[in-house]
Amino acid sequence: MRITRLCSLALAASLLGVSMLAAALDLGMNAPAFSLSGLRPQDGVAKINLADFRGKVVYVDFWASWCGPCVVSTPLLNELRNRLVKQGKPFEILAINVDKKPADGIDFLSDQPVQYVTVSDAAGTTPASYQVQSMPTGFLLDTSGKIRLIHQGFKSSDIKLIETQIEKLLAEKP
Amino acid sequence: MRAGGKLLLLMLACSTLLTACTPVAAWERGTLAKPEMALESDPLAATLQNHVYFSKEASSGGNSASGGGCGCN
Repeated sequence: MRITRLCSLALAASLLGVSMLAAALDLGMNAPAFSLSGLRPQDGVAKINLADFRGKVVYVDFWASWCGPCVVSTPLLNELRNRLVKQGKPFEILAINVDKKPADGIDFLSDQPVQYVTVSDAAGTTPASYQVQSMPTGFLLDTSGKIRLIHQGFKSSDIKLIETQIEKLLAEKP
Repeated sequence: MRAGGKLLLLMLACSTLLTACTPVAAWERGTLAKPEMALESDPLAATLQNHVYFSKEASSGGNSASGGGCGCN
């Protein structure tokens, strides 16, 4: 009887362990903080913190050189970012490259240059803390650093939806 | 040991094994995304081959290519 009870307890504990793997990051939550090194020389030598972008609407984009849809998203996001920044809007894209070899990410960007800051996380700590489910995944943060949109995958028509959400957040009073 | 106890032990063993399952995270799929890791090295050729195969097979189908058996579509 005692063994049966012990087994039941162990079973419950192991099932709980499995279910705990599926906890999710959700809209309205504060975006997890991070501090990462720049990918390219132009991204600087100092660590780049998410907190440095507080007060701006930020699109945190997780991408990799091997990710097919990233070929589509990268130039479109760059064009959108440059247009909004030129208009003086408080918006920025912070891209996180998750290539195991950062050189692969640098090669990708030499073919498709972007003007926004790109950091490298070869260890994968940040995508783990953001619970990234697919590549690419974008997290749109409001001026207070809360997650307002999680965009998984990318097709060219998605840029309109993202722009609409950005404009909505830019119109909000801080 | 009673049948209930054995079942419980079996379930415990299975659930313990489940915790060892590790999904490949989205950001760790760089190697899996390489062309040489694809199930089909040439997707277009595979689609055409399936189309011909299931058209001729007549009685089966439902793979990635459609075919009614006449070989004409």
